[in-house]
Amino acid sequence: MAQTLPYQQLTTCYYALTAVVLPVLAFAVNFFLKKGKAAGWISTIAIGATTVFAAIVFKQQWNAPLIHATIPWFTIGGTAVNAGILLNNLSVLLLLLVNVIALPVHIYSMAYMSHDEGFSRYFTYLSFFCFSMLALVVVDNLVLFYAFWELVGFSSYLLIGFWFTRDKAVQANKKAFIMNRIGDVGLLIAIMVLFSQYHTFDLNALFSADGLVANSTLTNGLWINGTSTIPAVWQYLACAGLFLAVAAKSAQFPLHTWLPDAMEGPTSVSALIHAATMVAAGIFLLGRVYPLFSVHELDALAIIGCFTAFMAASIAITQNDLKRILAFSTISQLGFMVMAMGIGAYASSLFHLVTHAFFKCLLFLVAGAVIHEMQHIRDENKLDFDPQNILYMGGLRRKMPITFITAVIAGLALVGLPFTSGYLSKDGILIQAFEWSDTKAGVFKIIPILTLITSWLTAFYVARLVFKVFFGKFRLSEVNPGLKLHVHDGPWKFNVPMIFLAICCLFPVFSLNPFLYEHAWIYKSFLPSNFLERMNPYHTIIPIALNILSLLVIYWAYAVYVLDKKLPLKQNNWLFAFSYYQWYFNEAYQKVFVQPVLAISTGLFAFDRKGIDGLIHFFNRIILWVAKLSAAIDRYVVDGFLHFVVALVRQIGNFARSFQTGRVQYYLLTTVVAIVAWVILKILI
Amino acid sequence: MNLLTLLIFIPLLAGLVIAVMPSSLRGSFKYITLLTAVIQLVLSVLIYLNFKTGATHAGVVHEDQFQFVQKLPWIRLNLGGVGDLQIDYFVGIDGVSVTLLVMSALVMIVAVIASWEIKTNLKGYFILFLILDMAVFGVFSALDFFLFYLFYELMLLPLYFLIGMWGGPRREYASIKFFLYTLFGSVFMLLVMVGLYLSVKDPVTGNHTFNIIQMMNPANYDAGSVFSALSHQTILGMPARMVGFVVLFIAFAIKVPVVPLHTWLPDAHVEAPTPVSILLAGVLLKIGGYGIIRICAGIFPDAAVQSSYWLGLLGVISILYGALNALAQRDLKRLIAYSSVSHMGFVLLGIASFTAEGISGAIMQMVSHGFLSSMLFFLVGVVYTRVHDRDIYNFRGLATLMPSYTLFVVIAFFASLGLPGFSAFVAEAFSLAGAFKSANTNGLLPQWMAACGALGILLGAGYFLWTLQRMFFGTPLLKGGESWKLSLTDINWRERSALIPLAFMALLLGVMPSLVFNKINDSVLLLVDFTRQFIK
Amino acid sequence: MISLTHYLLVGACLFCIGLYVALTKRNAIQILIGIELMLNAGILNLVAFGKFDKAANGGQLFALFAIVLAAATTAVALAIILNVYRRYKTIDPNKVDKLKG
Repeated sequence: MAQTLPYQQLTTCYYALTAVVLPVLAFAVNFFLKKGKAAGWISTIAIGATTVFAAIVFKQQWNAPLIHATIPWFTIGGTAVNAGILLNNLSVLLLLLVNVIALPVHIYSMAYMSHDEGFSRYFTYLSFFCFSMLALVVVDNLVLFYAFWELVGFSSYLLIGFWFTRDKAVQANKKAFIMNRIGDVGLLIAIMVLFSQYHTFDLNALFSADGLVANSTLTNGLWINGTSTIPAVWQYLACAGLFLAVAAKSAQFPLHTWLPDAMEGPTSVSALIHAATMVAAGIFLLGRVYPLFSVHELDALAIIGCFTAFMAASIAITQNDLKRILAFSTISQLGFMVMAMGIGAYASSLFHLVTHAFFKCLLFLVAGAVIHEMQHIRDENKLDFDPQNILYMGGLRRKMPITFITAVIAGLALVGLPFTSGYLSKDGILIQAFEWSDTKAGVFKIIPILTLITSWLTAFYVARLVFKVFFGKFRLSEVNPGLKLHVHDGPWKFNVPMIFLAICCLFPVFSLNPFLYEHAWIYKSFLPSNFLERMNPYHTIIPIALNILSLLVIYWAYAVYVLDKKLPLKQNNWLFAFSYYQWYFNEAYQKVFVQPVLAISTGLFAFDRKGIDGLIHFFNRIILWVAKLSAAIDRYVVDGFLHFVVALVRQIGNFARSFQTGRVQYYLLTTVVAIVAWVILKILI
Repeated sequence: MNLLTLLIFIPLLAGLVIAVMPSSLRGSFKYITLLTAVIQLVLSVLIYLNFKTGATHAGVVHEDQFQFVQKLPWIRLNLGGVGDLQIDYFVGIDGVSVTLLVMSALVMIVAVIASWEIKTNLKGYFILFLILDMAVFGVFSALDFFLFYLFYELMLLPLYFLIGMWGGPRREYASIKFFLYTLFGSVFMLLVMVGLYLSVKDPVTGNHTFNIIQMMNPANYDAGSVFSALSHQTILGMPARMVGFVVLFIAFAIKVPVVPLHTWLPDAHVEAPTPVSILLAGVLLKIGGYGIIRICAGIFPDAAVQSSYWLGLLGVISILYGALNALAQRDLKRLIAYSSVSHMGFVLLGIASFTAEGISGAIMQMVSHGFLSSMLFFLVGVVYTRVHDRDIYNFRGLATLMPSYTLFVVIAFFASLGLPGFSAFVAEAFSLAGAFKSANTNGLLPQWMAACGALGILLGAGYFLWTLQRMFFGTPLLKGGESWKLSLTDINWRERSALIPLAFMALLLGVMPSLVFNKINDSVLLLVDFTRQFIK
Repeated sequence: MISLTHYLLVGACLFCIGLYVALTKRNAIQILIGIELMLNAGILNLVAFGKFDKAANGGQLFALFAIVLAAATTAVALAIILNVYRRYKTIDPNKVDKLKG
């Protein structure tokens, strides 16, 4: 630890470190000791202690000068990579937020998972997630950031596939991990670009107010940082990579499709990871690297965020799966945050992140409680139906009053009605969107308008959800009249976290003035210094118009779903199908990416077998053929000559042998003939 | 007694002991081999701990900076007018090799533990195994090219027999393919070696020499000799030094293996018995990477930097091609074999960058892949020995039947696909970072190569997770029905004892990469410095 | 007048007959007779040429030697033939071909 830090800061650092380390200790204990039912308490106590430390860190560090403490980690080449923590407003806020969400979820989980045979495994994973998430929030360099970025994805993978015998769950977690991997590759590329441009991984050195990024410029297609100059395209690439990372983690278009599937995990996990914390990591990343984005890149962010928000909301209105509705709602709200980042509403984006974490987490906990009861009904009556389908529910408000009330509070916050936290954060984004579009070309007006429409869609699907689940009659009993119904609010482990979160959905937690988002303390702490207050009428008109219309929408939903008025829109037109099938993204991805990649891979394997190996075998055959040829030459030419000589000698030998008859008279005759021949020759010559 | 020499020749000693023992004691062979491997590990750890770092111990091109050196005259022949034939027994290590020694020693132990499954002809098996063991350590520490070549060839023969005699159904095909592929490379290597010998003179004795370190110094080349940088000789119209480099590179690229010279690997792996697969993937592939760094880049740095674009390209192709092929496999072992091709592509890409990050990443990747691929092949062996089947589609829901096994599989898979916290992440990230940085610092590789290489990480997640989903998750469903269910018992303590150290090392190096980087950094920096002067 | 030529002619005839007999006959005795004839032809020549060596009578002397030797060889040859007969039960030299190569 850097010794130069003053004592006060040093202790803060140690507190923060403790906060990060405690969950991993709980993880280790659960992992190695297999404590069974005690695992829940171990993890919960760890996270409870962590919360205390996080609160202390938060208290000491909020609006204080940042602390940056490092120790050397390793040296590679000439680059020393440090490990350290960076505590500024952003990180301590998230540190606290994660804990404040995680603690209720832990308590809730102890009841929710109590009958599951993987109870201790669940808490092992959960502690591991908390560790990764908390570490992600406080680390000070890009390598570590990437590491924990991926580890949260990994723990999310583990938790989505928690019930690993269910096919859908394991398909979902694979999808989630691979989608996130796309983002990771983007992040990795961005890190490589930044490293090759700035030769450091240090977040503080890179992105602080007068850091390296702030001091480098994009001019004439070049990206200039002091002496190092590279083409601007690398800056675009870095931003694209970062955007991919954000899109994957925060489920933005085009990488959003994993989040709805991720609902296969336990509901408490969805509440913690896929609603409040991990998916917010993308926004957190944007907050960390904000100075890198140039104006046009921010515009792109705004466009994509806005589009995602609208798309997800339009899907949410037709879904029937309780958790999927909430998942699309999460995508939509994350879209708001990304858009807010894009339009420069940095403070509002983070503010919304915090408020959203509370109300969305609460909604999931509510959903969990409801699903829990539905599963009870299913098991008790030995029926086979989907306990998450809202079409089977209804009228639960009398049986589960606490659940109902908290659900309404969270729902109102999500819609953004006054006196809730959602009103403060979301209206802020809307107002700033309008202000921003004034400074842009006319086309950009679409963005705030689309956002406005999305808000009303949100009001509709929230209302639909609440009315379908809690109002009217219990529809399952209408189909099965003899149904045994033992439906009631959950145990205290359910209720206490839910009530706590419901309180956090109300305005006083964030701002004493329920109508002015500018007065929210979180908002104020993230403001840039050149902020101008309330300069135009948007601040009054938009909230009023928005909320009045929202109320109308809610009433309409009430009319349709509770009073059973006819829906003005038919359910069999293509718009409905388009929404119901989630804009056909899954099918399109399957066709455009997955199948071609698989086809390519089988093709390449065939090429490997037939092409490369074929070539090898072909060479093999040629060589064999040449070998046979040379063997033939050897046999018939070289050996042939040899055999010929042998045969010749043998013939001569045989010829000579023929004289050796063994008959005396022949010898004599031969002699005579020889002599005569010689004589004749002598005479002739 | 020199530690390094001891490390190299202990297996030979053990091999002799086994050779003279009667086969009635065959039950003890594996324990002798295990003991040897453990002693080797202790020795290598001793070497690692006593390895000095710092710029004065960088090694690479400075003969006096090597550590644990032993140099003895070995073959001296008076050749009359040509001078003496000078071949030394010359071993020593620097940062490039030290971590590989430790890694190999650990993988050896795991391979011995995996050898418990071998039931036939134990004497021959363990003797061959120990010869291979010796050759591996010899290759990593030899600094005389002749000695290097000797050990290099010596690896080949035991492997051929190990695959050909204890392998699967198509073992003859696989072993001969492996043998011919590798021999093809090494025969040409022999030519270049002779060429180098005739070009280089020992400045002290004035004799021609096989000393690798002296081959790295341009001043030691005879004027007008074939590989002299100044004489600009050509072979078949191409610059001689380039030809020499390419030939050596091909020899090592076959070992790595680099696409398109890789097709021996899947066959060899599929047919080889588990311990041989472990050795092949864990240790022998690293010799390719090591050779490229030590021999190719060391002796022909000029040609290496000139052709770095192509090296990088081959690396990227290997990464993507291997990953895509892995995606298409049904045979688990073949899948892992292709994933090896993909992972070793990072090594080549890192080396090709000639940046400190890239080469460090490459060495780290070799070490990391040594542990992880051994683990993966060991895990495949676990299933295979139980039911003699490896087809992914014949299994489902193994997580329910074999929870501990699945835990190790998950660790191995995620570590291999580069999950942070494990060594492969650091290795791959820095190989890529080096490759990316190269464009900015020395201009050897374009950035898109690193970007494409990063896609390999994505595909890696694809095939590993898909396998997990298909084989391990879901409700149990086995092709072999109840009898398989009975055979598929969870892993026992012997198997755990092999897997835990590997998983631990992968984790340790992921959390504390300095364990590797500290030891190699000086050498890598020196190597980068050394090659930089040849970059135009 | 009987000149030297006549002697020589008779000798030549005798020799040819002897040769013919030696080459063609299937009986070892007859062959021996043939050989004797040739030998005698030679002796006749010796005697005929002895006319020109009146001082030392070399011709006569050699003829005498030759006759003695011929007698000796004939005795030996007959003994061989006898042995051959004992061994092979034949004296046809064509049937005695142990030396065939």
